[in-house]
Amino acid sequence: MTGKTLLFAVTGIGLFFALPHMLADFQLFQVCLIAVTALIALGLTVVTGLAGQVSLAQAAFVGIGGYGAAILATRWGVPLWAGIPLSGIVAAMAGFVLGQVTLRVSGHYLALATMAVTAIVQLAFIHMDDITGGAAGMPVPSFEIGGRALTSGGELYYVIVPTTAVLFLIVGNIIRSRFGRAFAATRQSEIAVAAMGVDVLRYKALAFAGSAFLGAVGGGLLAPLASYLDPMQFGIPQSIYYMAIAVVGGLRSPAGAIIGAVVFILIPEFLQAFQSYLGLVFALLLLGFIVLWPNGLSGLIFRRPGARWWGGAAR
Amino acid sequence: MTAPLLSIQDIGVRFGGIVALDGINIDVEPGAIHAIIGPNGAGKSTLINVVTGIYTAGQGSVTFAGQTLNRLKPHDICRLGIARTFQNTELFGEMTALENVMIGAHRSGGYGPFVAATHGFGFAAAESRMRAEAMDLLELVGIAEDAAMLAGALPFGKQRRLELARALATRPRMLLLDEPAAGLRAAEIEALNNILLDLRARRGLTILLIDHVMALVLKISDRVTVLNFGRKIAEGLPAEVRANPDVIKAYLGERAANAIAS
Amino acid sequence: MLAQLLVSSLTAGAVYALIALGFVLLHNGTGVVHFGYGDQVTFGAYLVLIAQNFVGVPFSAAIMMALLASMALGAAIYAVFMVPLRNASLLARLIATLAIGTALREWLRAFMGPNAWPFPFLLSPAPVEVGGLMLVPANLAIIGVVLVILAGLYLFFEKTLQGKAILAACENRTGASLIGVRVSRVFLVIWVVASLLATVAGILVAPLLTLSPDMGLIAIKGFTAAVLGGFSSLPGAVVGGLLLGVLEALTGAYISTALKDMISYAILIAVILVRPQGLFGGLALKKV
Ligand SMILES: Nc1ncnc2c1ncn2[C@@H]1O[C@H](COP(=O)(O)OP(=O)(O)OP(=O)(O)O)[C@@H](O)[C@H]1O
Ligand SMILES: [Mg+2]
Repeated sequence: MTGKTLLFAVTGIGLFFALPHMLADFQLFQVCLIAVTALIALGLTVVTGLAGQVSLAQAAFVGIGGYGAAILATRWGVPLWAGIPLSGIVAAMAGFVLGQVTLRVSGHYLALATMAVTAIVQLAFIHMDDITGGAAGMPVPSFEIGGRALTSGGELYYVIVPTTAVLFLIVGNIIRSRFGRAFAATRQSEIAVAAMGVDVLRYKALAFAGSAFLGAVGGGLLAPLASYLDPMQFGIPQSIYYMAIAVVGGLRSPAGAIIGAVVFILIPEFLQAFQSYLGLVFALLLLGFIVLWPNGLSGLIFRRPGARWWGGAAR
Repeated sequence: MTAPLLSIQDIGVRFGGIVALDGINIDVEPGAIHAIIGPNGAGKSTLINVVTGIYTAGQGSVTFAGQTLNRLKPHDICRLGIARTFQNTELFGEMTALENVMIGAHRSGGYGPFVAATHGFGFAAAESRMRAEAMDLLELVGIAEDAAMLAGALPFGKQRRLELARALATRPRMLLLDEPAAGLRAAEIEALNNILLDLRARRGLTILLIDHVMALVLKISDRVTVLNFGRKIAEGLPAEVRANPDVIKAYLGERAANAIAS
Repeated sequence: MLAQLLVSSLTAGAVYALIALGFVLLHNGTGVVHFGYGDQVTFGAYLVLIAQNFVGVPFSAAIMMALLASMALGAAIYAVFMVPLRNASLLARLIATLAIGTALREWLRAFMGPNAWPFPFLLSPAPVEVGGLMLVPANLAIIGVVLVILAGLYLFFEKTLQGKAILAACENRTGASLIGVRVSRVFLVIWVVASLLATVAGILVAPLLTLSPDMGLIAIKGFTAAVLGGFSSLPGAVVGGLLLGVLEALTGAYISTALKDMISYAILIAVILVRPQGLFGGLALKKV
C-alpha cells in the first residue's frame, strides 16, 4: 500500500464516521440515495462505458434486486442482508444470459433488446400480483441485522455506504487489471481482441452480469430506503434515467457514476419549487451532455481522457 | 518431407455473387516464411480471415498442427498458437501502445479474478512482469520510445509494428501478417525483413505473410503462392514464381489498369 | 369470431405499421435509428391540442398548424442535434435520440400535465355492420392512411430520380456528393417528412389510445414491427406491423390478456436473436 492510498483510506474512513455527527437524518438519507444511485450507475459504467455494450435493462435489474429481496423476506423469511446479495447473484445470472444476446447483435438492436427485457420484467412485476402486489406495489420489510431494525437513513447509512464503497473499490481494481484491459479492448475492437485469444462473447456476457449484479444490489439497498416498491419505478424511462446519470457523470470512469448520482439526487433539492420540471431538466442535461461533452462531468474535471481508468495498469 | 504446420485444403468462400476464394490448397512447412501475393481483390485477406475463424468457409478445411480449425472460434484459434495482424490495423486506439501489447499477453497474465478484484498477493509482480514483457516486444519492433502514446495517435508505420508486437505477445507458433509492408518506406521494409528473419531464427516461428510488393516478399520468403480472382495461379520458389508468365500477366494487367485509372 | 378478431387487430397493426414506417424512413434515409420517434408521435397529437386550446383556432386549422409545426420540429432536430452529432459514435447518437424523446415527453408532462387529454376522432368511431363484421370507420381510416403513405413513399423511392438519389446518399455519402447530391439537404428533407408522418400518426392514434405524455412508449411496438420487416424495407414495416397486431390479438384472445403485451416484446427479442436481418432481409459481414 502506497502512502497515497493509505491517506485516502484514512480520510475516507474518518469522513465515514464523522458524517453522521455532521449531517441531519434527512441528509444522511440523501447520502444513502446518492450511494445506491451511484452503484446502479456503476453497472452502466461497466457494461456500456467499459465494455461498450449499450444497456437499457438497468431498471429491470434494479427491480429484480428490490423485488427479489422483498419477496425473499416476506415469503420465506430470508433477512434482507442475505436476500440482497442473493437477488444480486440471481440478477447476475440473468444478466449473463442476456449478455448472450450480444453474440448476434450490438448497437441499436442491443438497445432494443435490452429495452424489451425491461418492458417484460416490468410487466411481470405488474401481472404476478400474488407475490408482487401487482400494479399497487408492495411494502418492503425493514432491514434487520443482529436483532436491530434499520429504518431511517441515518441507520441504513452504516450498511449502504460501506457496501457501495467496497463494490466501487472492487470494480476500480478490476478495471485496472488485465481483465479491465480486456473489457476495454472488447469495446474498441472485437475482432482484434478475439484474435488475441479473448473470448469476446464471454467477456460481454460477464460485463452484463456485473452490471446486473451492481444494479440489483443497488435496487436491493434502495428498497428498504424507499420502504415501498412501485412497479412503475422499473420501466424503460427509469432505464433512461440511469443512463442519463451515467452519461452526465461520465461513462468513462467509476468516478462519473458518483458525480452523476450527486448531481441527479441534489438537483431536486435546489429546484424544490419546480418539481414538475425535474424530468425535463434531467432530459435536457442528458441531451446537452451527449451533444457537447459526451465524456460527462468526470471527463471535464479530469481533463486527461478517462482512458487512464481502464487502460491503466497500477503504476 | 515434413508434415505441414498449416494446411489449407480446398477452401472456397463466396460473398453473395462474388467468389472470393475458389478451391484453394496451400501447405505451410514448419519454420517457413511463406508468402501469398496477388492483385487487389485476389482473396488474400479472405484467406487469412478464414484461417483465423473470422469468416467461415463454404467448403474445404484448415488444419493446424494436426488439428482441424473449421468450427473453432477466433479466440480458440489464437490459443492454439496462431497470431495475426490486420491489413488496415485494428488497434485499441484509446489505449497506449504498451497496453495494446499487454492485451496480447492477457492470457499469460498469471493471476485470476480474485487477485484482480483485490489487487492482492502477486498482483503487482504479475503486472510488472507483463509490462516488462510488453516493453521487450515494443523494443523488438523498434517503438519502445512510444510505449506511452495512445495507439490511435501513432503514425501508420508504427501502428503496423505495434500490431506485430501485440501479435507476438500471444506467444504464437505461427504468425499471419496481412500486408505488413504496405505504406512502409524502403528502410522500414528492410528493418521489418530483419525482424521477421530474426523471429524465425530465434523463436522458430512459422510466418505466412501477404504482400503486394513483390520485392519484400521475394527477398525473405522460402515459398510464394500467387492468387488471382480467388484462384491459385502459381506456387513455388520465389525465382520460379517471378518467371511464371501467368503471374507476370496478372501483375502487368493490374498495372496497366492502374495506369488507365489514374 | 376469429374473423372479427382479425379485422379489429388490423387497426392496432396499422398503428404499429405507421410508426414503423417512420423509423424505416429515417433509418434508410439518414442512417439514424430514432429512439424518440414515439414521443414525436405523441408530441404531434399534443400540438393539435395546443393550437386548439391555447391559440384558439378551430380543429381543422389546428391540425394544419400542428403539421407545419412538426415539420419545423423535424428540421430543428436535424439542425441542432443531428448535424453536430454526424461524426459521433453510434452510442452517442443512440443516446441523443433517446434524450430527444425524453425531453419531448417531459416537456409535455411539465406543461400539459401528466394526465390524459381527450382527443376528437376525425371519423366516426361508431361501428358499422358489414357482412356480419363490425367495422369502425375511424379505424379503417388508419389502415387506409398507412397504405396511402406506403404507396407514396414506395413510389417516391423506387420510381423518382429524387428518391433514388436519397437512397444513394444513404448508401454512400461521398459517392452521392460526387454525383451532385446535396446530402445535408436530403437528410433535412427526410427529417421533415418523418416528423410530419409522426404527427399524422399521432392525430390518427390519439383517439384510439389514451393521449398522455407516455403514449409514445408504444413506439417499441413500432420498432418490433420494423425489426420484423427487416428494418430497411418499407413494405416490410407494414407487413411487420399488421403481423404484430394479429399476433397480439390472438395471444390476448386465446392465451391470456396479461401475455398480450409481453408477446410483442418477446417477439422483438426472438427476431433479434434468430433473424436480426428480419423476416425478409439478408445479412452482411464486417470486412477486415
Ligand atoms: N466481408 C466481406 N463482404 C463482402 N465481400 C467481401 C468481404 N470481404 C471480402 N470481400 C470480397 O472478396 C474479394 C476478395 O477480397 P480480399 O479482401 O480477400 O482481397 P485481397 O486479396 O485481400 O485484396 P487487397 O489487396 O485489396 O487487400 C473482394 O472482391 C472483396 O470485395
Ligand atoms: Mg487484403
